[in-house]
Amino acid sequence: MIKGYEVVVGLEVHAELNTKTKIYCSCKNSFGLEVNTQVCPICLGMPGTLPTLNEKVVEYAIKMGHALNCKINRVCKQDRKNYFYPDLPKSYQISQADIPLCQNGYLDVIMDGEIKRIGIERIHIEEDAGKLLHSDKFDGSLVDFNRCGVPLIEIVSRPDMRSSAEAKAYLETVRSILKYIDISDCKMQEGSIRCDVNVSVHKPGEPFGTRCEMKNVNSFSAAVRGIDYEANRQIEVLEAGGTVTQETRRWDDQKGISVSMRSKEDAQDYRYFPEPDLLTISVPEEKVQELKDTLPELPNAKIMRYVKDYGLSHYDAAMIVDVVEKSSFFEKCIDAGCKSPKLLSNWVLGEISKFMNEGKEISDTKLTPEKMSELIGLISDGKISTAAGKTVFDIILNEDRDISAIIEEKGLAQVSDQSALEAIADEVLLANEKSVTDYKNGKTNALGYLVGQCMKASKGKANPGAMKEIILKKIEG
Amino acid sequence: MKLYEYNAYELSEMLRSKKISSKELTESVLKRVEELDGSLQAYLYTDPDMSLKMAENADKMIAAGENRSRLAGIPIGIKDNISTKGIKTTCASKMLENYTPVFNATVVDKLNAAGCVTLGKLNMDEFAMGSSTESSYFKITKNPFDLSCVPGGSSGGSAAAVSSGEAVIALGSDTGGSIRQPASLCGVVGLKPTYGSVSRYGLVAFASSLDQIGSFGRCVKDVALLQDEIMGHDSMDATSAYREYRPLFDGLNSDISGLKIGIPSEYYGKGVKPEVSKAVMSAVSELEKQGAKVTPISLPSTEYALSAYYIIACAEASSNLARFDGVKYGYRAENCNGLIDMYEKTRSEGFGREVKRRIMLGTFVLSSGYFDAYYKKAKLLQKRITKEFDDAFRSVDVIITPTSPSEAFKIGDRIADPLAMYAADICTVTVNIAGLPAVSVPCGYSEAGLPYGMQIIGRKFDEQTLLNVALAHELAFGGFRRPKI
Amino acid sequence: MDIDIRHIAKLSRLKISDSELEGYEKEMGEIIAMVEAMPDIKDELTVDPDNVMKLRSDEIGEVKYSRDEILKNAPKTVAGCVVVPKTVD
Repeated sequence: MIKGYEVVVGLEVHAELNTKTKIYCSCKNSFGLEVNTQVCPICLGMPGTLPTLNEKVVEYAIKMGHALNCKINRVCKQDRKNYFYPDLPKSYQISQADIPLCQNGYLDVIMDGEIKRIGIERIHIEEDAGKLLHSDKFDGSLVDFNRCGVPLIEIVSRPDMRSSAEAKAYLETVRSILKYIDISDCKMQEGSIRCDVNVSVHKPGEPFGTRCEMKNVNSFSAAVRGIDYEANRQIEVLEAGGTVTQETRRWDDQKGISVSMRSKEDAQDYRYFPEPDLLTISVPEEKVQELKDTLPELPNAKIMRYVKDYGLSHYDAAMIVDVVEKSSFFEKCIDAGCKSPKLLSNWVLGEISKFMNEGKEISDTKLTPEKMSELIGLISDGKISTAAGKTVFDIILNEDRDISAIIEEKGLAQVSDQSALEAIADEVLLANEKSVTDYKNGKTNALGYLVGQCMKASKGKANPGAMKEIILKKIEG
Repeated sequence: MKLYEYNAYELSEMLRSKKISSKELTESVLKRVEELDGSLQAYLYTDPDMSLKMAENADKMIAAGENRSRLAGIPIGIKDNISTKGIKTTCASKMLENYTPVFNATVVDKLNAAGCVTLGKLNMDEFAMGSSTESSYFKITKNPFDLSCVPGGSSGGSAAAVSSGEAVIALGSDTGGSIRQPASLCGVVGLKPTYGSVSRYGLVAFASSLDQIGSFGRCVKDVALLQDEIMGHDSMDATSAYREYRPLFDGLNSDISGLKIGIPSEYYGKGVKPEVSKAVMSAVSELEKQGAKVTPISLPSTEYALSAYYIIACAEASSNLARFDGVKYGYRAENCNGLIDMYEKTRSEGFGREVKRRIMLGTFVLSSGYFDAYYKKAKLLQKRITKEFDDAFRSVDVIITPTSPSEAFKIGDRIADPLAMYAADICTVTVNIAGLPAVSVPCGYSEAGLPYGMQIIGRKFDEQTLLNVALAHELAFGGFRRPKI
Repeated sequence: MDIDIRHIAKLSRLKISDSELEGYEKEMGEIIAMVEAMPDIKDELTVDPDNVMKLRSDEIGEVKYSRDEILKNAPKTVAGCVVVPKTVD
């Protein structure tokens, strides 16, 4: 709430699907290849060519529809959206107008542990356009058609979000689902997921204000900045006694401002009509059900389960679930018999995340769920110390070796033998009489120091828990 | 008799029994083209060297016994809106004057595989929009029966070439009558097959939901032969019908006893010349004598068909022709001031008047606020017209009407009056709207000797019955009458 | 029914000169007058559940064309790209 105004946000997310081929031709669907090498007469819209619809595009969109609790229109059609632009070879985009493949769903977003339900108006399938390249060296613009015909789904939310933070949580959840059901690579910097933002402001209790649509929002953080900017702009207009005009604006993330692109009066007339080159899409009832039944566990359910079954904090659970590879490894370790999910979670978010942040994948290493579980077991049983565990971890990351052999070789086994530990304790207490006195005078942190000294004397092999008990017993008599 | 005068099915026998070679035959046809086309103007492009090479290859194919098709070695002309790899495909438009496709239409691939000899590309109305071939950017094709008359359109070049002997057979396309009407005006047989039975891949689209490639020949058997070669499912065309196609030529049978013929009164009244109706009805009574049963039927929505047709066709055309924008291929205007100016100049200079008018009409009927009043209404009428045909075909096997309301008209007579020109299509558009097959066969001649045509309409995918009736008529009426040119 | 030819031409990306305007207005007016005689039908456009298409399986096809071949019809190319007048956004 800013100056008594409530912000109302609706989002249109475009996600490129990771099918093998394009939506209407059998060209490879790939990113980053040399300009105009992934094109054929069909995706270039050459005279006489015709589209044929990729069945996987329909299936992927239905999967997303199920994930977002939508009604699936298993009998539907495609329509043409007509407009001229150099990156659109046919001068129309094949899309869906009045009957989208999926509609009337919802998505639950978890914010600060609370569930917020966002309505989903529709999900439809369509083709992407090419890319325009500009250069100062050059008088015109260059067109690269490689992206033409890359399959997209457009996910349109209802105006159910009330802050930029909610919008961000929604976007992150959508992205996470796309990754879990494995239909999009969701690489923001490659433009594989983009969004248009609709923003309006109003005073609670009053009708919704006039909305502005913002295009060119290329990252989630840009969405947050754009929404905040746009909401403030509209509030300023209203506070100054003005009215917000319905228009399409362009977000300039570098300058941090939105600028007007076109007003409602100039709104494009897309002249939608049914695509005559394609007939009815009819997905069998059983197929629709099968796609629902084979949907993997979705991220929100996963987070809840990690909290409930494994006692993880919501924050840690969400951090693991955020990355498919982390959660998949986490679950494989549990399946391999890992006894302490909480300790495992610390390792996944600690050591494993550390190398993953450097761009390495788990599959790039020699680490297996079996070895990880064994290692966690040894640590939680006190057989080796955490420090020794790290030494072992670094080795099994790079070499396929037996953990017990490593412990043996490096002498990493923890000393839990009572007499050996007592000998160390005696030695340390003798050399640190001042600390003993301090402890007795109430400086309890002296105990930690003494245990540390024992660990040092044992070259890290002593079991710190057992050590602590012995020292306490000796000091307190 | 010169070789170019024979029918394809006769030539096919002569080729297979090695009485003639494809090279001799092709030379004969090419000579005819050379002598005649200066005045007839049917072709936009020929390449005799290429044709002769193809003929030699066909001869080798036949000599090696590798000819699977009856059309091996037969010279064929192709309408210039059908994509031919390495051969300019202009749609008779300035817009595509220098466009050379990198791929073949599916039908062209099929004909090449069959060993057909390509003669060249045939003139047409620009982007197949017209009924006289006068809207071609390049030339005006003449009617072989009277050089001062139009050959009809839009496949005027195809009809004129087959009629004059400049081709043995030819491919055309039919969106509202563009095969049948010129066939009628040039005295040849023209078949518009069921929508979905011939792949549209490589046919430059005018109105996707109505366009269909079809065949021209001087006799019913030739049309059956060509149709057999081009029909069939194509995975490149999502609107192509997935079904079994039985060979038509082998199924030809002129026994029509017991066949039920429907005569819809709506096609014989206003706007149709009485002489044309008379010629058609006299042919029908001939069929009755052969044992067919004739019953009057009614197709009441016919009077609105032309309106529905123009709305649907122009709406689709406005979108289909939007790709011609000067960016990827085709004409681009010079000295443009920015992108929008480039688009507008390119399209205004590249398209002819008829095309521009239809694009604008189509844009209008789809534009915001008008969709329901025009496009939606037209689509609902399409549904009704289709149902009326379905109902009629419950009691009859074929429906017979005139093809064109009049014989060929003079060049220049109607070009300035779109409604008069559109009237040429009143008997043919319903067939495209309902997606049905129909064939036009010559059925009489005017006092001046200009041909009249009779249209036989059939059930979806029942080309066989159509052609059987056409054959029965052809046998009774007498075959092709050669124009004195 | 008056048609705003200028607006329609703009949507169609066509330039209509002043001298052409009247002719188009007259012809289009006549055609629209003809089509307006169509009867009203109380019905809705629906998707035909019987007119179903086969979908394509998601398999990569062979690359048949080089970039030069695919761009050879383009009016202007530079560095493997089609060139157009500068676009704003």
